[in-house]
Amino acid sequence: MEERGGCAGGFRKDTVDRLLRLHFRDGRTRVNADAQLLMAELLKVFVRAAARAARQAQAEDLNKVDTEQLEKVLPQLLLDF
Amino acid sequence: METEGSHFTGAEEPRAAVHYTVGCLCQEVEEDKDVQFSKQSIAAISEITFRQCEIFAKDLEMFARHAKRTTVTTEDVKLLARRSSSLLKYITQKSEELASSNMEQKEKKRKKSSAAKGERTPGEQEAAMTENEDSNMA
Repeated sequence: MEERGGCAGGFRKDTVDRLLRLHFRDGRTRVNADAQLLMAELLKVFVRAAARAARQAQAEDLNKVDTEQLEKVLPQLLLDF
Repeated sequence: METEGSHFTGAEEPRAAVHYTVGCLCQEVEEDKDVQFSKQSIAAISEITFRQCEIFAKDLEMFARHAKRTTVTTEDVKLLARRSSSLLKYITQKSEELASSNMEQKEKKRKKSSAAKGERTPGEQEAAMTENEDSNMA
C-alpha cells in the first residue's frame, strides 16, 4: 500500500468489522480475519471505481468532479456490485 | 484514529472512518488523474459506501447462514463480488494471496517451534511423533 501524504490508502480491518457488525441481524454473526481483510479490499475497489467513474464522466474542460458526475455513473456502479 | 470520535454513539465513528478513508482514496485518484473532487462529491461517495456496507453486511450474513455458519468467511465475500467477472477475478486473486501468506506464516511458526525442540527436520519430527503415538497405544 502506498503512503501519500500520510494517508493509509485503504480501509482498516477493525473499521470494516465494525461497519459490517452494525447491520448484522443476528448478534452471533462474526467476520473472520481474512474475510475482514478481503472486505477491506472490496471496499477499496468500490470507492476507487466510484471516484474514477465520476472523473471519467466529467467534461474535458473541467477538472473538478462534483455530485453531478457522480449521479451519472451511480446506476452502473451499483449494478456492478 | 483510535481516539478520534470516541465520544460518539455507535454509528457515527464508523461513518467518520469511512469518510476519512474515502477522502484518502479520492486523493490518490486526484493525484493520479490531475483532477479535484469537490467536498460534496467526496461526502456523497462516502455516504454511498457507508450505505453499500449495509447491503454487503446483510448479504454476507445470509450467505454464512445458508452455509450453516455464524462466521463470515472469504467464500462469502467472494460471492459478493460475483456480478462483475473482473471484480470476481480480482477478489479471488486477493483471497489466494491472503491464503498463501497465511501458509507462509504457519510454515515459519512450525520451523521456529521445531528449531526450539532441538533442530529436528520436519521428517524426523513426524517420525518421532508417530513413534510416540504407537507407544501410547500399546
